[in-house]
Amino acid sequence: MKEQDYDSHFSVPYLLILPSMIILTLFLYWPTIQSVILSLYRTAPFGARRIYSGFDNYINLFTDPVYRASLLRSAVFVLITIFGGLAVSLILSVLVNQKLKGIKIYRTIFFIPYAISPTVAGSLWVFLLNPVAGHVNYFLDLLFNVQVPWLTNGFFAFIAIIIATIWKNMGFNIIFFLAGLQSIPDSVYESARIDGANSFQIFRKITIPLLSPTTFYLIIMNIIFTVFQSFGIVDIMTQGGPADATNIVIYKLYRDMFVNFRPGLAAAQSVILLILVLIVTFFHFRFGSRGVHYQ
Amino acid sequence: MRKLTFLMVILLAFILTFSAAAQEPVTIEFWHAMGGYNGEIVNTIVERFNESHDDIQVEAQNTGSYNDTLTKTQAAVQSGSAPHIVQIYEIGTQVMLDSGIIIPVEELGREVAQDDSFDWGKFLIPVSNYYNVNGQLNSMPFNSSTPILYYNKDAFEEAGLDPNDPPQTFEELKEYARKLTIRNEDGDVERYGFTLGIVGWFVEQMTANQDALLVNNNNGRDGRATESYLDREPVVRFIELWKEMVDEGIMLNPGRGWDGAKQAFLSGRAAMMIESTAQVTNFTNNAENDGYELGTAFLPRPQGVDRGGVVIGGASLWAVRDHPEEELKAAWEFLSFLSEMEQQVYWFENTGYFPVTKAAVEHEMNGQFFAQNPNHLTAFLQLLLSKRASSTQGALIGTFPEVRQIVEEAVEKTLQGDMTPQEAMDEAASRVDRSLEQYNSLYE
Repeated sequence: MKEQDYDSHFSVPYLLILPSMIILTLFLYWPTIQSVILSLYRTAPFGARRIYSGFDNYINLFTDPVYRASLLRSAVFVLITIFGGLAVSLILSVLVNQKLKGIKIYRTIFFIPYAISPTVAGSLWVFLLNPVAGHVNYFLDLLFNVQVPWLTNGFFAFIAIIIATIWKNMGFNIIFFLAGLQSIPDSVYESARIDGANSFQIFRKITIPLLSPTTFYLIIMNIIFTVFQSFGIVDIMTQGGPADATNIVIYKLYRDMFVNFRPGLAAAQSVILLILVLIVTFFHFRFGSRGVHYQ
Repeated sequence: MRKLTFLMVILLAFILTFSAAAQEPVTIEFWHAMGGYNGEIVNTIVERFNESHDDIQVEAQNTGSYNDTLTKTQAAVQSGSAPHIVQIYEIGTQVMLDSGIIIPVEELGREVAQDDSFDWGKFLIPVSNYYNVNGQLNSMPFNSSTPILYYNKDAFEEAGLDPNDPPQTFEELKEYARKLTIRNEDGDVERYGFTLGIVGWFVEQMTANQDALLVNNNNGRDGRATESYLDREPVVRFIELWKEMVDEGIMLNPGRGWDGAKQAFLSGRAAMMIESTAQVTNFTNNAENDGYELGTAFLPRPQGVDRGGVVIGGASLWAVRDHPEEELKAAWEFLSFLSEMEQQVYWFENTGYFPVTKAAVEHEMNGQFFAQNPNHLTAFLQLLLSKRASSTQGALIGTFPEVRQIVEEAVEKTLQGDMTPQEAMDEAASRVDRSLEQYNSLYE
């Protein structure tokens, strides 16, 4: 059989990327351009009026203390969720990486939260944290004699959505950490043990560095999860409240678009979000790989 | 020859399509926000209509919450696939009027359908008053409700209170709640005297009950609202009461929304609550099953303040203009059917939403329904005894859904202790003013 010569015609490479370009254009680039255009207008509900307003939407956003607070809150939320979540997941994956009887059942149990929808996850947490009939408060009351106002106090509501989000993403992280752990050859551990390293040293000096490609990938994926997918959890559990305590950027965007009917303002927020994600991704690809060890 | 045959075939196809179309019933799309049990009642009514009208087929579709329905209607209008009839909550009234997509039902009935037999005075005044703007009825009243005070009569007796003497003033509400609260030996509250979900609607109703306005220009009825009155005494007074009672531990703060408070009341964790009249049937059944007696009363108001009354809540049905005349006529046929007495009575007895026509109320009076269901009577009397004024007619605000959220946030800020009631309402008022300014500037 004769091998295909892909350089035979200048158009061949273009033809090859054409299908993915069509899809990207239709579902990514075109909506993005639309958002940018929309963000320059003030649109009346039902599209009855459309008034060009230049950068007014952006100016309004950045002069609005509610939006600035929301940006800061989201940054704190993302940082705590990612580092807390990755730490918990790493510990759990080391635990389920052992050769125990019925280990597959444990692994499945840890993965289940990822498989259920954010809406269901949020509802489960609402039940658990319910001040009247919730199990969490029941046990806290039994053990420490305290009643925590989980969803009615700003501070605790913020903690509650962090816990729920960490719990929700844990399964995904554990699967990847587990795959990473299992790809570390036993020989490395053996030689470390022969050299007299204890378990903590092995974990610190071998496991963590050799897992760094996985960790690096997970950090990026988690940023995307936490920024965009936590919407469902926030919507069900707190609706951004109480008193804006859990109003993160993605939720505020939703509210401005679908409750307050300000498409321009919402589009401006999505453009800002896009820029932020681009910056994060750029920094990670540019500098993030420095500490990453590939075997 | 070939050309001629081809032409004949085309012609035949044409004729067939048209004659088929003539036999097909006119299809009307009806979007509503009634889920669960109430949704089934809507479907039953729609089926009855379809069975009795061979030439019209109404397709009812549940489009999620009130807010979802409004959002989906907007999207549908912009993509040219709007339904014929859509159920919109009362606070969407101004935005629908401004939308430019609707045909007022009065115009639809009088001019498009030329229906002279329809009695425009058949609706209860407090209901039609809300939807009457610019001198005509804009949407068909459908599911209407107001809030009332629910209380557990058994708990009243336990606490040494007269179960037939519910609290009428803010002061009494507090005093009663104090007596109804039960603490265990650790000092933890086992039963709260009162509970109320953080829902902006209650603040609006408590304001109307003091015969006070929510926004200027006569609640936005004489012209576009430009200034919010949230920072005035009637509102602040109610928020103060709310905070004092929560701080004292005699009122449970179940958080934002409806479910927490309802759950607390139904499970006996709270002895009194304010909820929609649409819950009367549900609560009555629950009380029967759990073996306690349910009481209902008018909303309390501050001592020495004249009663205004309640504003009609719930939703109404809007017709969308951009459809062929034939379909608009069919839409009118359906709307007119819904306002007939049989449907009204069926709707009321099954859902608890008010019947909105005088004939249906008369029918229920004659049938002893109110005599046998005193809680329904409370709900009804409170509405009928409301003063006829702009305060109880309800505010027209273009950004009402947003205003409600601003109010809810302000209540939360107060209850958390971040701000005093006055500070929180000052902030809320200025946020609403800004929102009104931005909205109004779109229509200048």
